[in-house]
Amino acid sequence: MTVQDAVDASEHYEIYNTDDIPSLYTIIIDTNPRAWAALNDVLPLTKALANILIFVNSHLAFNNSNQVALIASHTNRAVWLYPTAPDQNPHGQRKPQNPNDDIEMRDASFTTNKQQPPPPANKYPLFAQIERSLLSSLRSLITATTTEDITSTTTTQISGALTLALSHINKNRPPLRPGKQLHRPNPQFSQQVLRFHNLGRRPRRRQRRFAPRRGRGWFGGAARAHPGGQPAHARIAIDTLALRGSATFLQQASYITRGTFIRAQEPRGLLQYLMFGFGSGSAPQGLAAAGNQRSQQQAKKEDKANEKAANAAAAAKGGGNKGQKFLGSNASVADLLVTPSADSVDFRAAICLSIFCEVPEGAECLTCGTKLALGNYGRRIPVLPSKAAATAAVGGGQQANGNGTTVLK
Amino acid sequence: MSLGGQQLLEYLEKLPGTAFRRLYQSPATALAIFRRMLSHHAKVIVRGLLYMPDPFPLTSLDIWFPPESGGKIHRDRTIAALRSLHVLQVSPPGKDRTQEIQITTSFKKGLQLAFEGGGEDGSFGVPSSLPVDPTIDIGYLDKYARKKWDDILHYVVNSLGVQSSSEGVSGPKASVKELLLAGRLVERRPDTRTGIGITQAGFTFLLQESNAQVWTLLLLWLEAADHAADSGMDSIDMLSFLFMLSSLELGTAYDTSALTETRRNMLPSLVDFGLIYFPRDTRQFFPTRLATTLTSTASALRTVSSAFTAATANPSGEPGTTTSTSGGPAGATPADKTGTSKGIIIETNYRIYAYTTSPLQIAVLALFCQLNMRFPNMVSAALRAIGFGITADQIISYLHAHAHQQMVREATVTGKTVLPPTVVDQIRLWQLENERMQTTAGFLFKDFESTEEYAALSRYAEEIGVLVWKNDKRQLFFASKHEQLRDYLKSRKKGE
Repeated sequence: MTVQDAVDASEHYEIYNTDDIPSLYTIIIDTNPRAWAALNDVLPLTKALANILIFVNSHLAFNNSNQVALIASHTNRAVWLYPTAPDQNPHGQRKPQNPNDDIEMRDASFTTNKQQPPPPANKYPLFAQIERSLLSSLRSLITATTTEDITSTTTTQISGALTLALSHINKNRPPLRPGKQLHRPNPQFSQQVLRFHNLGRRPRRRQRRFAPRRGRGWFGGAARAHPGGQPAHARIAIDTLALRGSATFLQQASYITRGTFIRAQEPRGLLQYLMFGFGSGSAPQGLAAAGNQRSQQQAKKEDKANEKAANAAAAAKGGGNKGQKFLGSNASVADLLVTPSADSVDFRAAICLSIFCEVPEGAECLTCGTKLALGNYGRRIPVLPSKAAATAAVGGGQQANGNGTTVLK
Repeated sequence: MSLGGQQLLEYLEKLPGTAFRRLYQSPATALAIFRRMLSHHAKVIVRGLLYMPDPFPLTSLDIWFPPESGGKIHRDRTIAALRSLHVLQVSPPGKDRTQEIQITTSFKKGLQLAFEGGGEDGSFGVPSSLPVDPTIDIGYLDKYARKKWDDILHYVVNSLGVQSSSEGVSGPKASVKELLLAGRLVERRPDTRTGIGITQAGFTFLLQESNAQVWTLLLLWLEAADHAADSGMDSIDMLSFLFMLSSLELGTAYDTSALTETRRNMLPSLVDFGLIYFPRDTRQFFPTRLATTLTSTASALRTVSSAFTAATANPSGEPGTTTSTSGGPAGATPADKTGTSKGIIIETNYRIYAYTTSPLQIAVLALFCQLNMRFPNMVSAALRAIGFGITADQIISYLHAHAHQQMVREATVTGKTVLPPTVVDQIRLWQLENERMQTTAGFLFKDFESTEEYAALSRYAEEIGVLVWKNDKRQLFFASKHEQLRDYLKSRKKGE
């Protein structure tokens, strides 16, 4: 019973929307050939893919409106595996030839394409379609990988893949009200989960480059340094299943976004890790709200306990929990959100939440192609003091007035 | 779960265990049961256990059921629901070992096959290799299905004699009329104009969402087949075929020669319901949207029904109503929901605005609303007190099922109710003025051998959520279902 209803102590009949909320799962697979070669004896790529497909199918079976997206994070590029762009170059070259172009996404409603072969008799049509798309994209990706691609770098384009995923998620968000969706985190889709498989060992060199500097753009291009920063802003959880090596960075990302982090002790059990560990990824409605609050409270406690992690979180959120809270998107009228961090100014695209160190050429976002407006750039950002800070300030003021009132701690 | 799901659930719960084993042999059925019949929690459990080789301790499930949301009771009810569908096995409780759960072998096999693909039974339909008539596209099928279904609904509505009778509607086949009569949705009344009259069950039928209506009719059909044992129809096989239809793809032609003889015999009836389109002189059949969404969840249906309306707007071409839709037949995708969304908006001042062009929906609304104004694509009305013996629950669930997208979205975002509480309360008050009694069908349990037996059984009934009323002093209790209580009593007797 709500507070209003309690006034007259009568019983009210209320009807809530009990439908399952459809969710979009975005799965990023690290396809770095080196990492898979190292893992080949235990879990070959083919077997892992078969397991991931079963997991994808089970997610789709939860609800007819559920969707998935699969992205490969390769050594030198991030590639869509499903859904694929209709005009995708079959040879797997870097897809958006002109980065300013809007990427046309194909979704589940395109299933009845006349050119496609008829659905097989022993498989659910949608499952078969995803399998076909995944295998053909991956095959072309692998054949297009040259020796130079592998020798030139040992890393994987995780940040690129995450950015692709994020822009895809933001594009797929149904608008709450026409024209307003960009500035309002939509709780209806807070359950969208970004799945992340870190399959490879993160090279040491890279790790060191990550660790000491906080909050600046290491990835050279568009993406923000910390993979957790943007999804946390959009309330998207990053779940990580690390098959090998230490994925410290992703552990932080999962922590910040309230996702699940699992380090697979036994990679052969990949399927069971997926089905069981991430099974409750989209928590049932009703429970979700309670669970969210609980996890936030817990997180607050942990924040205090884990000073180090809190620092990282604060850095990623642009000054987050510590003393000040930005009014954030609600207060902003500009398409570009400006979030000053300690020592610099970043520009954040409102659609894909990419962060730039300076305004990109022609004020167009390099990732999502949106024309950005600068709004009142240069004006001071309104700052909300957090509760603790506020009470402290009030208390201080009273003391300064010399009223002699006791300040309750 | 929607109304249609509940009816199906009740039907399934009455089936014996062997029937389930036969049903789950088909991966399509296992998938449909998983998707449609299970609650979200149940799905999470089934998914977690599906590839688990060994039984799983029951107490370990508690992680998924935090105590603040009802904890143990919620868990027990979820498990009871899974057991009633023969999806989950629970080992009997013992003193020295914990209870363990596992997925039943038949369901496990079926669902694993569905997820992995494979098998040779063609349970997801064998597509036709013959050339397909290009004029049969999704828009055509939608129009066809809507026409067939509206004919049936008009037949029921017209028996009422309300205004806006529809011209140019041929009415359903005689077999369907028989079915409606046998299911007591309508009854013969010589004094009315059409010779038949609508019953209380008919009102329930009319006010359901279309998916629930389809299931109501199909279940009537299954029951009729059960009774007429000499017809050569096997209701389990029929049910399995329906689940298969639900997993077919809209707009694809399927081969009839791949079907068994009995299933081929079902096709004419399904054509009468509008579930499939069966062109003459071909060996192909096309499932329509009514068939492919049989096992969809409610939220999916909402978008589907809007696409449905977009594709088949203004089916009878009634003068004075103009279509406001822009989505042509080709644009009949669920993504096409901006601007063309239809639905009912209810205000707290008892006013209703229905964005619709369907004379059928207007006729249904006229059952309990006072129509005030009619615009090209909107009808404005005020709620009025209940006549005709429609119950408040029926009206409320109808309004809820057809609520406008905007209301649903707003309610989801703000965590408020979909319909204004004042209106819902008032509808119930209207009903209370007329009738002071509420009836619940069920079973009375009495004459227990001992107090312990009474206590144990009534507690168990409460745990699985079927207990309606109990009196500890007289050792009586009343439950809405008895199947699981009977099993519990049996196992208890055996244990002694």
